[in-house]
Amino acid sequence: MSEYKVSRRYATSLLESAIEKNTLDSIASDIELVASTLDANRQLVHALSNPVIRPNVKLKVLEEIFKSRVNPDTMNFLKFLVEKNRQNLLESISKIFLELRDEHLGIVNVEVTSALAFNDEQTERLKNSLERFLSKKVRLNFKIDSEIIGGFVAKVGDTVFDASLIHQLDLLKVQFLKGGASLN
Amino acid sequence: MAEVKPDEISAILRKQLSGFESEVDIYDVGTVLQVGDGIARVYGLSKVMASELVEFPNNVFGMVLNLEEDSVGCVLFGESTLVKEGDTVKRTKRVASMPVGEEMLGRVITPLGLPIDGKGSINTSKFSPIERKALGVIQRQGVKEPIQTGITAIDAMIPIGRGQRELIIGDRQTGKTAVAIDTIINQKYTHSEEAKKLGIQPVYCIYVAIGQKSSTIAQVVAKLQEFGAMDYTTVISASASEPAPLQFIAPYSGATLGEFFRDNGKHALVIYDDLSKQAAAYRELSLLLRRPPGREAYPGDVFYLHSRLLERASKLSDELGGGSLTALPIIETQQGDVSAYIPTNVISITDGQIYLESNLFNAGVRPAINVGISVSRVGGNAQIKAMKKVAGSLRTDLAQYRELEAFSKFGSDLDKITQRTLARGARLVELLKQGQYSPVPVEKQVVSIFLGTNGLLDEIPVSEVKQFEKEIQDYIEVNYSGVYESIRKEKQLTYETINDIKKAAKELSASFRMATDSGKARA
Repeated sequence: MSEYKVSRRYATSLLESAIEKNTLDSIASDIELVASTLDANRQLVHALSNPVIRPNVKLKVLEEIFKSRVNPDTMNFLKFLVEKNRQNLLESISKIFLELRDEHLGIVNVEVTSALAFNDEQTERLKNSLERFLSKKVRLNFKIDSEIIGGFVAKVGDTVFDASLIHQLDLLKVQFLKGGASLN
Repeated sequence: MAEVKPDEISAILRKQLSGFESEVDIYDVGTVLQVGDGIARVYGLSKVMASELVEFPNNVFGMVLNLEEDSVGCVLFGESTLVKEGDTVKRTKRVASMPVGEEMLGRVITPLGLPIDGKGSINTSKFSPIERKALGVIQRQGVKEPIQTGITAIDAMIPIGRGQRELIIGDRQTGKTAVAIDTIINQKYTHSEEAKKLGIQPVYCIYVAIGQKSSTIAQVVAKLQEFGAMDYTTVISASASEPAPLQFIAPYSGATLGEFFRDNGKHALVIYDDLSKQAAAYRELSLLLRRPPGREAYPGDVFYLHSRLLERASKLSDELGGGSLTALPIIETQQGDVSAYIPTNVISITDGQIYLESNLFNAGVRPAINVGISVSRVGGNAQIKAMKKVAGSLRTDLAQYRELEAFSKFGSDLDKITQRTLARGARLVELLKQGQYSPVPVEKQVVSIFLGTNGLLDEIPVSEVKQFEKEIQDYIEVNYSGVYESIRKEKQLTYETINDIKKAAKELSASFRMATDSGKARA
C-alpha cells in the first residue's frame, strides 16, 4: 500500500517540474512511450525489479533503450529513480503521472462499452453531451462487448452511466418481482 | 381454483410496465481486489461513505468499514464464496439500515431486518440506520419508572428502572439467559388492561441472540410463545453459523428497533445475549481488516464498540415523549474472572450488574444471584415505596447472614443473637429462591419479603418456607384481598396492610404448624 504513496510522490514531482519548465507535452509523450514499452516488454519490468541485477546495469539498459528517444529531462528522471533504487516503481509512476497530467489538463478518460461500434457522428454526439454534463474535456476509449445486447455503458472514474439494454432488462426484472410481492 | 384469464395477466403486466421508464442509470462502482474470510478489499468506490451498504453480485451485501488511500475494506453479510476477484461492487448510497415498526413484534428477524420465521414478509414503512449516535444530556431525564423482572431477589435488591443499563454477568450455565427470559415474560402484565388502569405503560421487548446455537434460539422463541410473550417481542437472531459481520451488527439492530419504540414515547427493553460473543466477532473482523490488535487481541476501539451501543439506552425527557430504552447486556465470564478485558469494560459502562455464580447455582440457590456484589446504581429511584421499605432490611439481614455463615457449623454453641441472625438469613435465602418461568408480581414480592424480614417466618422450618409462602399468598388472596390491591394501587405499605399481613401470618402459621406436625406424626 505504501508503494502507491511513493509512486504518487515521484509522479507529482515529475509533473510539477514539467509544468514549471513548460515541457509537459514532450515529457508526457516520453512517459507514454515508457509506459507502453514496459507494457509490451514484461521482461524489462522483471529485470528492473530484480534485486540481483546491479543498479548500474539497470541504468545502462534504460539508457540504451530510451536515451535516443526521450528528452534529457526524462532521462535524468530515470537516472534519478535508479539512484534512489525505485526503478521497480517505474511502471506505476508512469501510470499515475499520466492520470495526474489528465487531471491537470481537465481531461477525463471515459471508457465506453457498446455492443456495436459507434460511427463518427454518434461518437461526436456522445462526446459533446458527456463534455456538457461533466463540464470537462473528455477522452473516449471504446470497447466492444456484445454481452450488453444494445445501448452503451460509459464509465467515468468510478461512476457508471448505464444505458445498456441488459441493465434495463435487469431493472425490469426487479420491478416485476417487486410488483409480484405487493400483489399477494 | 379460479381460472386466471390471460388478459388479466397482461393488464397487470402493462400496469407495472407503465411505471417503467428506460433512461440512463447512473451509479458508482468499484472492483473487488481481494476476498476471503468475510472481508473484501475493493478498488474504486471513491465517494463511498463509512458504514455504507454496498452491493456485490449474487445479492450479497457488504458494509464499508475501512476507507483507505487506494482501497476500501468491506465486510460481507453473505457467503464470501459467492464473491470473486474482479467482481463489480455497486454503491447503494445509504448507510446500513433496517426496517423498523410495530410490525416487527412477534417476529424472528436477521440483523438486517429480514424475517426468518417463515411468516411472510414484514410490511414496514420506515427505515432506520443501524448505527446512530446516542442522545445528549438535554434529551434525557433520570430513571424513575421500574421494570419489574418478576424475580424477587432482583426487584428487591437490584432494582432496574426504565432506561437503565444493567449487566447480567456470570459463567456459563448459571442462568443468565433465564433471568433475561423471565424478565421478558414478566412484561406481559404491562400489556394487560389492569396495568393500563394503574398507569403502567407497556414494555416492548427485543431479544438479540448473538453467536448462539440456532437450537437454543429456537427454544427461547418456543418458550416465549408458550407464555404468550412473543406478542410484544422481537427476536433478532445472529446465530453462530452467521458470518461475523452479522453478529457484530446484531446488537446495533436491536438498539435501532428499540429506539423506534423509545422515540415514539413507548418503552422498550432490549437484551443483548451476549456481548462477549459480539466482541469476539468484532475481534475477528478487525484482525481480518488488519487493524492492530491490543489486549487479548481485541482492537483498540472495543471499548467504544460497547459504550456506543449501551449509551443508546436512555430515558427521554418529557418534552420528547418520555419513552425509554432499557438495556440488559449479558456477558459470559470464564471461571468467574470478571477482571478480563471485556467484562471490566462492560461493568464500567453499565449502571450496575447482576452477578450469577456457579457455586450458588450448584448449591441450589436459583436464580444464582450473588446479592452481595450485585448492584444497581440508579434503579433505587424507580422502586415503588412499599418495596423500598421492605428491601432495606432484607439487604442488611442477608449481609449479616453471609458474615456469620461460616460459624453456622458450630450450631448450638453460638449465642442467641447469632443463632437468630443465622435462622433469619437461611429463611430469607430460601424465600428468594424461585423457579424458572414463574415471575412473581411486585405486590406478592413485597408481602413475601415483609414476612421474612419481620421474623414472621422464623418459626417455620427452612424446608417448609416455600410451601408456607405459597399458602399464605393464597390465604391473603382469599381472606385479605385488600392487601394486594392496596400495594398495587397506593404503591406503599399502609398501617392497615401491615396489620392485615401480620394477622394473616399468625392465623395461617398456627394451622400450618398443626398440619405439618400431624403430617410428621402420620409419617
